[in-house]
Formats: sequence, C-alpha cells, structure tokens
Amino acid sequence: MKIQRKTYRVEVPSTTMGDIAFNLLIFFMILARANDDSYLQWQPARLTDLQAAGASRVSVLIDSESKLYLNGRQIGVATLSQQVAQLLGDTPPGQRTVLLKVHREAQAMYYEPAIEAVCEAGGDLVHILEESKEPGPGS
Amino acid sequence: MKVPRSTKLMVEPSAVTTGDIAFNLIVFFLVCASASPDSGRRQELPRSETVAQPAKGQHVEVHLTRTTMAVNGDVVRPRDFTPRLRMLLSGKVRPEDRVVIVKSRPEVPYHHWIAATAGIEEAGGIITIQREEEREVRLPQ
Repeated sequence: MKIQRKTYRVEVPSTTMGDIAFNLLIFFMILARANDDSYLQWQPARLTDLQAAGASRVSVLIDSESKLYLNGRQIGVATLSQQVAQLLGDTPPGQRTVLLKVHREAQAMYYEPAIEAVCEAGGDLVHILEESKEPGPGS
Repeated sequence: MKVPRSTKLMVEPSAVTTGDIAFNLIVFFLVCASASPDSGRRQELPRSETVAQPAKGQHVEVHLTRTTMAVNGDVVRPRDFTPRLRMLLSGKVRPEDRVVIVKSRPEVPYHHWIAATAGIEEAGGIITIQREEEREVRLPQ
C-alpha cells in the first residue's frame, strides 16, 4: 500500500506586508532626495521678513570652504550658468526657482559670480536665509 | 480547597517587530535631520546681457567693504542706509531710473551683502551687480 505524502500549503506571511510597504516607501523617498545637499557644511545668513522658498529642482550652494555645489555636486563657476540652464530646461517663468545657499561668511569673489551665473541662466533667485528677530539696515 | 485561577496574564508586545520599529525610527529621524531651511528672500536681478551700461552719475551707487556701506561715495551707518536710498530714489518712477549699482570688495561677507541688498530692495531700488573683472595685462617685451 502506498502512503500518500502530506502536502502543506506554503504562503508568504501577510503580517509584515505593511512594514515592507512602509520601508519601500521610505527607500524611494530617500532616493528621490538623491540630489540633496544637506550633508554640506554651511550656515545661513540672518535676515528679517523672509518668505517661504517653495519647491525647486535646482539648488546652488557655497559651503564654509567656499566650494561651489550644484544639487549637491561640486562644480566650477565657469560651467554653472550652462548647467543651471540645462536643469531648468523649458520650465515656464515663475517656476524657474533656483535656491541659493551661501555660507554667511563666504566672500563676494565667490558668491557674486554664482549669482550672476544663475541670473544668466534665467533662474528666479531665492536666497535661503535664517529668520532674524533683529531688524536689518534702515528698518 | 479550590484555588482561583488568575485571569491577569502578562501580555508582552511581540519582540519580532522591534527591529522593524527601530529601523523605521532611524529612517524617520534621518529624514527629519536632513530637512533644510526653506525660508528665504526672492531677489530679482536683471540679466547681465540686458543691462545697459549706465552713464556715470545717473544711477545710485552702493559701495560695500567688509564692514561699511557707502551710498554715492558717502559712508553711511547701517540704520541710515535704507532711508538714504529711499530719499535718493524718491520721485524716480521708471524702473531704469531706480537701478542701484552694487560694487563690492572681493572680501565682503555674504551676510553683509545680503543685508545691504535687502535694504536696497526695501527702498525700492533695482539691484545691479557690478564686478571688478580680473584682467590679464601683458607687458610688452
């Protein structure tokens, strides 16, 4: 007599599905922030009457060592205008925001060419600053 | 004798998901820590190609050094900077007349520059940066 072997149904446990989905969500969220420049060292200048910067695809940063970064990648000022224009593409006016993050002690010889390059590329410049309670000059 | 059965059982949360919880907490704080400041100041600067070379003496000029601000050559105190510009720009209606040329020494720190340019905008001026270009001069041999 032949004894039938027992068959077992094997199923993937569904209890951890929620966790897996959540982790995947966070993973893609971090990937989406791949152009992040939050690892760079800089201190914003302080000013009063600031507005919300809004969302932007382009971020130009000058760090505490006066190095220039475009979306977290170090570049030279000579190619900045061209690369910003490339990133902005055919974006309509009003949505061409470029965030400019400059270390508060950076010198004019570093940030002025960057500002000019952004303007040449047709970007709408937004200086990222920290809210100050002390009034600015003349106010 | 009948011993009453205790119904108060110790219920512990399952330890299997502790790793997941810890991981999620790490990621949550990582994302929070990487949030950058999102407040700022919008600044409109005319494109350098479109800016016509201004005639000397026609526009207001602001000279910045590391610690000082000068309007048309006169060093002014920070609190007098905006009122002085407002006075100079009063009565000027056309945008081309409200152009304020900003000339900065190479060592001017950004916090000084942004305070000055914010003051110019507050006074109703249109900022134009004028940089001293480095030129290579070849001496005849």
